[in-house]
Amino acid sequence: MLRFWSWAVLRLAAVMLMASFASAMLIRIAPGFSSDDQELNSGLSAQSIQAIRQAHLADANIPRFYAQYIASLAKGDLGTSRSLNQPVKDLLRERLPVTLANLAVALAVGWLLGVALAVAAQTWDIRALGFLANGLSGTLISTPAAALALVFLLLRWPPAFAAALLVFPKIYRYTQNLLQQSCEMPHVLTARAKGAGPWRVLAWHVAPIALPQLIALVGVSISIGVGVLLPIEVVSDVAGIGQLAWHAAQSRDLPLLVNLTMVVTFVTVCATLISDAAQRGFMRSAA
Amino acid sequence: MKRLYLPSAMLFLGLLSAFAQTGGELRFCLRSEPKTLNPLLVEDDASETIRYLTGGVLVRVNRVTLKAEPELAMAWKVSEGGKRIRFKLREGLKYSDGTPFSAADVAYTMEQLMDPALHSSTGDAFRSSDGKLVAQVISPNVVEINFPAPVANLVNLFDTVAILSAKSPQKEMAALGPFYVAERKAGSYLLLKRNPNYWKKDAAGKQLPYLDAVRLDIEQNPEIEALRFKRGEVHLINTVSPAIFEKLSADNASVRDAGASTDTEQLWFNQVPGSPLPDYKKTWFISSNFRRAISEAINRSDLARIVYRGHAVPAIGIISPSNKFWFNAGLKPHAYDTSSALRRLQQDGFRLQGDTLRDKAGNAVEFSIVTNAGNRARESMATMIQQDLKKIGIKVNVVTLDFNSLLERMTKTYNYEACLLGFQNVELDPNSQMAVWLSSADNHQWNPNQKSPATAWEAEIDKLMRAQAASGDEHKRKQNWDRVQQIAWEQEPFLYLVNKDALVAIAPTVKNAEPSVFRPQTYWNVETLALAH
Amino acid sequence: MKTVRVVAIAVLFLTALTILGASYLAPAGYERQFREVPQAAPSAHHPLGTDDLGRDRWARLLYGMRVSLTLAPLAALFTTVLAGLVGGIAGYFGGWTERCCKLLIDLFLSVPWLFLLITVRAVLPLNISPEASVTVTFTLLGLLGWAASARVICSGAKDLMKSEFVWMARASGFSGLKLIRLHLLPNLRGALFAQFWISIPVFIIAEANLGALGLGVAEPLPSLGSLLRELQDAITLRPEPWRLLPLAVLIVVISSFQVLLNKQVLLNKQEVRA
Repeated sequence: MLRFWSWAVLRLAAVMLMASFASAMLIRIAPGFSSDDQELNSGLSAQSIQAIRQAHLADANIPRFYAQYIASLAKGDLGTSRSLNQPVKDLLRERLPVTLANLAVALAVGWLLGVALAVAAQTWDIRALGFLANGLSGTLISTPAAALALVFLLLRWPPAFAAALLVFPKIYRYTQNLLQQSCEMPHVLTARAKGAGPWRVLAWHVAPIALPQLIALVGVSISIGVGVLLPIEVVSDVAGIGQLAWHAAQSRDLPLLVNLTMVVTFVTVCATLISDAAQRGFMRSAA
Repeated sequence: MKRLYLPSAMLFLGLLSAFAQTGGELRFCLRSEPKTLNPLLVEDDASETIRYLTGGVLVRVNRVTLKAEPELAMAWKVSEGGKRIRFKLREGLKYSDGTPFSAADVAYTMEQLMDPALHSSTGDAFRSSDGKLVAQVISPNVVEINFPAPVANLVNLFDTVAILSAKSPQKEMAALGPFYVAERKAGSYLLLKRNPNYWKKDAAGKQLPYLDAVRLDIEQNPEIEALRFKRGEVHLINTVSPAIFEKLSADNASVRDAGASTDTEQLWFNQVPGSPLPDYKKTWFISSNFRRAISEAINRSDLARIVYRGHAVPAIGIISPSNKFWFNAGLKPHAYDTSSALRRLQQDGFRLQGDTLRDKAGNAVEFSIVTNAGNRARESMATMIQQDLKKIGIKVNVVTLDFNSLLERMTKTYNYEACLLGFQNVELDPNSQMAVWLSSADNHQWNPNQKSPATAWEAEIDKLMRAQAASGDEHKRKQNWDRVQQIAWEQEPFLYLVNKDALVAIAPTVKNAEPSVFRPQTYWNVETLALAH
Repeated sequence: MKTVRVVAIAVLFLTALTILGASYLAPAGYERQFREVPQAAPSAHHPLGTDDLGRDRWARLLYGMRVSLTLAPLAALFTTVLAGLVGGIAGYFGGWTERCCKLLIDLFLSVPWLFLLITVRAVLPLNISPEASVTVTFTLLGLLGWAASARVICSGAKDLMKSEFVWMARASGFSGLKLIRLHLLPNLRGALFAQFWISIPVFIIAEANLGALGLGVAEPLPSLGSLLRELQDAITLRPEPWRLLPLAVLIVVISSFQVLLNKQVLLNKQEVRA
């Protein structure tokens, strides 16, 4: 157990460091790193334009920038955003809660809908319900996040629900498959044959098999949730991490982007770790 | 569709009707987060909005009459050909935090502003030559500012200088303007509240502004902004796209076309000698015959009619006709004439072979137009130009790049063939164009930073621009500037395409609005705006 | 469910036909500007009306489908092959190989690849044809999008390696390539197919989003992505339902694939049991 978690922490740290460094390198190589739209400001004197260019080149040496960044990170300083002139820490403090709250709503609603429909379809075996749920999940899985976000905007529904609808099909399909598989297992069939009611079968015989695998899905669903929420934030103008990242990318805001990469990496790796841990737990209990 | 400005009599009636309608919160959107709240460092539109609403200035340019009007300064006098200005200030004024205002604050602000390390465009506008500015407090309400060299258009430049307090503990957050920043949530909104110490009163002696507060929501997506306007959640939109304008007017929302703006949209060819383009292409681009032929082959009225849905006029030159004083009225619109274009090209040895235009050496004429991705109007214009030029056998590739990549190509690598962009002309005075038209300037886009002028006509423009900057005589300056416009019309280093209209949306509940084509179009008279309850 | 499958097959068949016959079905070239009738409503000449520049929407939809529905599957193929390779290797070998692969997967999921795409656009010549530039974009998407799929394949492969029949196969002397070819690949086929179909809409949308950065198709060539991008201003529009057709086409086509995909997975299960 200790070995698993120490490896996990190591993995988290390694990926965060590598990802943020790779991201800094990519931003540096991409064209426009040292460009600033103020260079087109005809009100600025040649000296001022030169000064702006110099300021951008200050971070041009990426290994040095990165070393300085890590050193100040150790002291709890995340640097200052180049394009917004604000400490990155403040920006994250203001925007992370917004994204996290939306993520929580999206996941909660997506899960509730997905599991409820899958369980209902399995328990009652109503053709129409199964057909409806399959159709809905099929349509939603093919719908672009941005398009759905636009529809929600028009209807004045909260954007988190658009994300929820996009998380739902994945949960529904996985749960449905899992339940179907579990229901076909010999001891479940026996229990049914003995006359146990559907809810009893579900609670006593199916749930213990399916639960650990569903927990593993929690991790995956976090990644999925982040993946759909970020573009939705951009389209619906939600002041969260997605919108900030889009702004940072467009203005090549190196300090901000490196920190955002750290955040995204943290969430991604933690989500994987949850899945891995759940699966390990499952293996162990199965053994 | 163009509407004339409301006559001032109506403004007066509006003022009267506003008496009973004071208070309320005016809401509109900023397209981005303001980068700074320090008025001296303002560069972006959002920060400029905050400065306009909170900053107290010595003089304010009336956006309708374009005349400088007294604000914190009751009177001023320019002397020594524009090297010296003396302001007589109003007495007994206070900042929003109660700190008294005096001549020392003006001197302090000017010294801060002109600090070379600050690199502020507001300050750079005053910098006509090297040397130090001296701001001298003559008495608590008289201040004199001495510049090292004459500054053209000196008085109007003070329209952008918000006077900071030298003593206030709130520093730049202490406001002398009608509002002060009361609340800010990054990425979301700013709330400005009325400055209780604002000095101005209306004709009836009532203290301005009429509004209690202005709420600025940060909204990047103009479609959402329009939707919120339709729902009544915001009261004003400063720049409405033609498509949204059409939709809003079809929905009977209050949109107004204030007429052609001073902004320009232009196409230019890369004429940088050291650019990585093949030599034969460089030869095409430096030929004025080639540029004029392309210009003649572009159907500008189609651009205005289709891309801007009629809310633009084909451009004539550097200056928009709406800038009435400085526009050279002798210039004619560029004709759309493909056969004349082909004749010009033939003069340079080009010939049409089948569907393809070839140069003297037999190279097929093909070039790319780069423009910034995400700007639908420019993408559409480039696509229409692509089809226009196909008619004279030229193959155009439209390439959209993200803005920073485009900038790098324009200002550093010079790796592009033709570029389509637009310039905002906030200042009406030709002096603000020095950084574009001097051949040694950074923003001389087609061939920047020249050691000595590459062509005779650029040398002539240099001479004329320097002459107008040094002169205090407006008519002489106008003569020089007219000649610059004439040369630019003939040589077409920039192929000016259209002047788009200033389209605004103002909710019917907003009283006393008097939209102008000049920024800030809808709220320039914010202190007298009122909301009907 | 049989009817649904028949309908799905019919939809896909029709789509393939339209893509192949775009040049016969379109009333005009996708780039031709009918400048006298911009933003026209549907008519006999223009069945779906015209766009902002007066181009026939129907022609643009047909050609856009051709571009997106041929290139997105190509990108999905790249992704699936890469995901199969990395995920398969990780699952097959386990241990340190698996850990390293997982590290790589996490890394790939976290790095902002957008900047690589911007860099590639900068390196490409400006006068590259729109067809070539969109092919490059989709290829890059395919090469960069494998990580999430690889994770799924990895866990699938790991489960298989622990299953009874693989133990039995091993016991009877199967190893290496033969084991992979005869047991792993056929049993992972369902998962690989699933990843393939899931990737297609993802890439179509990704191309649309990249268009906002100038990395998608270049004018005048249309793609489903660039047509979807036009929907961005739908919120202020008067109701013009015909403009939603590209979105509807995308959803219908991908859903049809999904219907067939479920059938595929079902078949696989039977194989596993057999």
